[in-house]
Amino acid sequence: MSSLALQDLGPKTLDWTWISNNFGDEILPALQGHIFLSLTSVAIALVISLPMGILVSRYRKAYPPVTFITGLLFSIPSLAAFMLLVALPGVGLGPVPVIIALVAYSLLVLIRNVVAGIDSVPEETKDAARGMGLTNRQILFRVELPLALPVIVAGVRIATVTIIGIATIGAYINGGGLGELIFTGISRNFPTRVIVGAVLATLMAVLADVLLLWLERRLRPWARVRRA
Amino acid sequence: MIEFRDVSKTYTGSSRPVVKDLSFEVLDGEICVLVGPSGCGKTTSMRMVNRLIEPSSGEILIDGEPNTAMSATQLRRRIGYAIQQIGLFPHRTIADNIATVPGLVGWEKARITARVDELLELVGLDPEQYRGRYPAELSGGQQQRVGVARAMAADPPIMLMDEPFGAVDPITRHRLQDEFLRIQQEIKKTIVFVTHDIDEAIKMGDKIAILKEGGILAQYDTPENILAAPTSEFVSSFVGSDRVLKRLSLMRVSEMDLEPANGSDTLPRIDERTNLKDALSEMIGAGAERGLVVSDRSGVRGTISIQQIKNLSHRTEAGRHGV
Ligand SMILES: Nc1ncnc2c1ncn2[C@@H]1O[C@H](COP(=O)(O)OP(=O)(O)OP(=O)(O)O)[C@@H](O)[C@H]1O
Ligand SMILES: [Mg+2]
Repeated sequence: MSSLALQDLGPKTLDWTWISNNFGDEILPALQGHIFLSLTSVAIALVISLPMGILVSRYRKAYPPVTFITGLLFSIPSLAAFMLLVALPGVGLGPVPVIIALVAYSLLVLIRNVVAGIDSVPEETKDAARGMGLTNRQILFRVELPLALPVIVAGVRIATVTIIGIATIGAYINGGGLGELIFTGISRNFPTRVIVGAVLATLMAVLADVLLLWLERRLRPWARVRRA
Repeated sequence: MIEFRDVSKTYTGSSRPVVKDLSFEVLDGEICVLVGPSGCGKTTSMRMVNRLIEPSSGEILIDGEPNTAMSATQLRRRIGYAIQQIGLFPHRTIADNIATVPGLVGWEKARITARVDELLELVGLDPEQYRGRYPAELSGGQQQRVGVARAMAADPPIMLMDEPFGAVDPITRHRLQDEFLRIQQEIKKTIVFVTHDIDEAIKMGDKIAILKEGGILAQYDTPENILAAPTSEFVSSFVGSDRVLKRLSLMRVSEMDLEPANGSDTLPRIDERTNLKDALSEMIGAGAERGLVVSDRSGVRGTISIQQIKNLSHRTEAGRHGV
């Protein structure tokens, strides 16, 4: 479909020479920047969401306010969020406000999946564990988290794919990444940059999706039932 | 020995106790079955032994020591625990599931591996074939076996079993019951066994504690005595109007004083291991007043009569009314 649209734009739409000439000093850094933004954001979001999710699954009363606040964060338009963060003292332009916003966006889905994962552990499994003399900590680390892990990874998958998409907008506030190519391409009226940026961002999202889906399956070997 | 001393339990937020002034003892090496209608507090009583539930008042002694003398986790590692819902760890292999408590109490690897295989053999699962599987790869009955094996893993002197054979079809249940009784002959654990099925209670119990609504102990005795002499209307209706027959099912033909067999070839042949209830049924079915008792090893042992069985039942019934 995209190739049809490209033909309408004329023969010079995709300038292969430009791509090969600028691969090393423009495209690759943008890609690396994008990977850095996405990985850092997901990692930080996970570090916050895991303990939050565990806590919320224990103190159920905290769940509605936590979903409310993270849901609110999730619903702020991304461009507005970036601009607001830039205006905060001590933040300014650059990758920092982008990462903060991306983390904020991931919290809802990650916390929700941590809680859902822990909730999915059968009551009788936990009861048997307690009845055999596992401590609460042992139940958490040996029973609840391993069983919740595939659901948590499913959340990471959704968060990562979302983040890779939104991160492109971060270039607007000098966050770096593939958005850099897209925005420069638009302002200089040079479609090749836009296309390269968009295609790479899409490829990255698809790759992350496939990789995490594979991991999700790997973490659930017990579900591959092989009856004798 | 497990001793309940005036144990009561009222759940928070409720005004009525679900277990009330419960006192009884479970002797070493005996199976004590807690039985009663749904909601009478059987599970609650059992779970107070390993402190999954704390009593509101009273105490439970284990070998003379209150069960609060050590930490709850220490206590639980010394008490086997098997439940109807089984609760195997879905993400652990059968071997790892069984190895749970031995691992917690720090057994060496080689000892654990040997123990796992020994237990799988004991519950009738080929170790070679099953130790590496996940629970989802086993049938319900096989999972129940693993659940029982896991409860026995660290060789605890005491086991708590809450309807451990509840989730399988009747045929499998009978087989699991028989297997477990055979195992118990060897291991001689002190067992609290919960069921709502009076037939299972009669079959499995050395002692039966019949609880009624509100967690009140209605009667505590051997199956024979409870069937022969229920002390209340509640107990006699709970054990059922066929309690005389149920009681006969507890005795085998070989335990009777047989009469000599002479010229009685036409009589129905009854294996000496048959219980009296089935023997009675066979004689009635064959239209005979007597049956020829035979054994695998020594051939004809003698004869038994319907009258003999009648006398036996009548005597205890009369005894019950103080005649
Ligand atoms: N955690 C709890 N909080 C409040 N009430 C409870 C709790 N657990 C059980 N009960 C109530 O206590 C009573 C006894 O429950 P229990 O599970 O001990 O019965 P049971 O004899 O095992 O019944 P069943 O044969 O159905 O398993 C029931 O009325 C039940 O509703
Ligand atoms: Mg129960």
